[in-house]
Amino acid sequence: MGNEGFYQEFEVFSQRTDTSPLQYQFSLLAPNRELALVMAQENFMRREAVADIWVVKRSDIRKLTPEEKQSLQRLDNKEYRTTKGYGYLKKKWRHYEQEMLDEKEILSWGGVKKGE
Amino acid sequence: MSEALFYQEMTEEEKYEQFMKRINTGEKIEADDWMPEDYRMTLIKLISMHGISEIMGALPEKEWVPKAPSLKRKLGIMAKVQDEMGHGQLLLRVAEDLMKPLGKTREDIMQDLFSGKLKFHNVFHMEAPTWGDAGLIGWLVDGAAIITQTNMLNASYGPYARALKRICAEEVFHAQHGEAIIMALAEGTDEQRAMVQDAVNRWWEALLMFFGPGDASTTGTSKQDTTIKYKIRTKTNEDLRQDFFTKYIPRVLSLGLTLPDETMHFDQERELWIYKQPDWNRFKDIIKNNGPKSQERLGLRRTAYDTNKWVREALNTAN
Amino acid sequence: MNEPAGNIPIDSKIKPALTSLLYQLADDDFILAYRGSEWLGLAPHIEEDVAFSSISQDTMGHAAMFYQLLSNLGEGNVDSLAHAREASERQNAVLLELVNGPGHYLSSAQYDWAFAVVRNYFYSQAKKIRLDSLKNSSYQPLAEVALKVNMELYYHLLHWKTWVIQLMQAGGEARTRMEAAIGKVLADFEGVLNLGPLAKEMAEHDLVEKEEVLKQRWLFIMKPVFESVNLSVSEADIAMKNGNGRIGEHTADLDDALSTLSEVYSINPAASW
Repeated sequence: MGNEGFYQEFEVFSQRTDTSPLQYQFSLLAPNRELALVMAQENFMRREAVADIWVVKRSDIRKLTPEEKQSLQRLDNKEYRTTKGYGYLKKKWRHYEQEMLDEKEILSWGGVKKGE
Repeated sequence: MSEALFYQEMTEEEKYEQFMKRINTGEKIEADDWMPEDYRMTLIKLISMHGISEIMGALPEKEWVPKAPSLKRKLGIMAKVQDEMGHGQLLLRVAEDLMKPLGKTREDIMQDLFSGKLKFHNVFHMEAPTWGDAGLIGWLVDGAAIITQTNMLNASYGPYARALKRICAEEVFHAQHGEAIIMALAEGTDEQRAMVQDAVNRWWEALLMFFGPGDASTTGTSKQDTTIKYKIRTKTNEDLRQDFFTKYIPRVLSLGLTLPDETMHFDQERELWIYKQPDWNRFKDIIKNNGPKSQERLGLRRTAYDTNKWVREALNTAN
Repeated sequence: MNEPAGNIPIDSKIKPALTSLLYQLADDDFILAYRGSEWLGLAPHIEEDVAFSSISQDTMGHAAMFYQLLSNLGEGNVDSLAHAREASERQNAVLLELVNGPGHYLSSAQYDWAFAVVRNYFYSQAKKIRLDSLKNSSYQPLAEVALKVNMELYYHLLHWKTWVIQLMQAGGEARTRMEAAIGKVLADFEGVLNLGPLAKEMAEHDLVEKEEVLKQRWLFIMKPVFESVNLSVSEADIAMKNGNGRIGEHTADLDDALSTLSEVYSINPAASW
């Protein structure tokens, strides 16, 4: 066994701000997750803002094998899943003198109220 | 991935062919991907040497960390040497993942260093007797390192390329840290100027050696053809040395410093810097741990490693 | 180093106590950061080396801020304050100047990791308590610096506490080494908690709370930590074995450190480096 027990592999993830997505940083060796956590920030984020840090033991991660990565392939025939398959509505609505509620319009609805 | 074939159904030749096709189209190879044995072995050798050189490279500069002449310089050089250790960490992680199928760990890397099996870069075997050396290491040794490392930013091995991207971003700070020390000395008293000139004289040959021999005829072996074939790097040792001259010689001279090589000049016709070759036999001897500081630094590294053994053992099974 | 607060006129009655307090704060951080800088490259593993160095950098940064406050009071420039003062003029606690272990930092260092983690943890906790008190200091520039420095102490404490607890719980050789280190640190810890001969004036002018109050707070916070690792520590264990640094008593370790850390500076203190 020797010192292998001291050198456990941890993967480090971090968030730059409270609203940003979790981002993969790098891996480090530490004997346990508490020490992995106290090493993480200074090893990989010495010069940048951090809002949160996750450390995950590598052996707890199930990754795709190179063979399994083949399962990621798919045909480019799924317009029905995307707005691309419904583009004809724009013309239809124009007929009724209405604007199309596209992605840009819909995602703007969560914004500030008028007059604010 | 272009072929829908399963790896286990492919012959070694087919795997190799697909591998070469991937790297030739700019795809990145990842740690768990199939790779030819000599690709793996070349990477292990290159990256573990690169990583351990960063770790050993902290030692010549370490001397000047407590001695730096102002609070600002003390902080700057501490951060810089910390980065070297950090670069070692990134690179060793990459090497360790490559070694994993061979059953090797960081422990083996350290033992290989102590036994002399794993070599470290020639420059880190040299003496750094003055504060001028601390500045010169930051300026020109890091400058040389930036040139070799940026040459591999697009390496076919993804984890190495990603580590190098982090490293090169920090090297920009290192270069400026070195320039700041040198600039203060070059613009300072006669004694300070002499300190820089002495350091240039002392380090020049080691800097030429830094890029490695021009070809195998100089030292008997050279890995550069393999690394170019596998798209780990693009330029040859000599290309890199010439790039270094082009970038740094005008800057050295502009500060009123001289180079300890009267033959040094730029041949306009051949578009090449002409220079006196370093003593490549001495180079071979230095990297066999026979440089002026090789044994002392290895001794320090080994003593620290052994002294701390109890810590690693204590937390061996803690969870 | 630009810090807030220029030359604010200061009551001459307050000044001796204020400058003494600032020298203690600055010299404590400076010498401990120096000892930390000697560790660089020699920690038990590479990841820790990187983390430890950040703490040493933070700590030296704090020293620089305190020296700047002294400089603003007309005590001289920050680099001469850090590099050019004799051992007898230094007010750091003796515990913080002691060598990291046998051997020289360049060739034969056999540094004691147990001593490092215990000294740093105990000190960080004392520093945190002192700075929390300084946030309410009547000397506004110091209160402002205390607020800033305080931010970085959470990490220092988390880091050192994690090491101390894990090594204490590891048992065996580690436990023996840790207990020896704790004994050594406590034997001089009074020197850290001590605020020197002007402690009374410091409290009277509301520069910082009473020495005894801060000491009891440290014991109160540390008690559950000691209990969690089955260690009994009593107030009587806390002593000042190697002298009181607050009155300029120091060991030969400090002389050696000063000659190293000022080696280049002393070539020409007037030169720009």
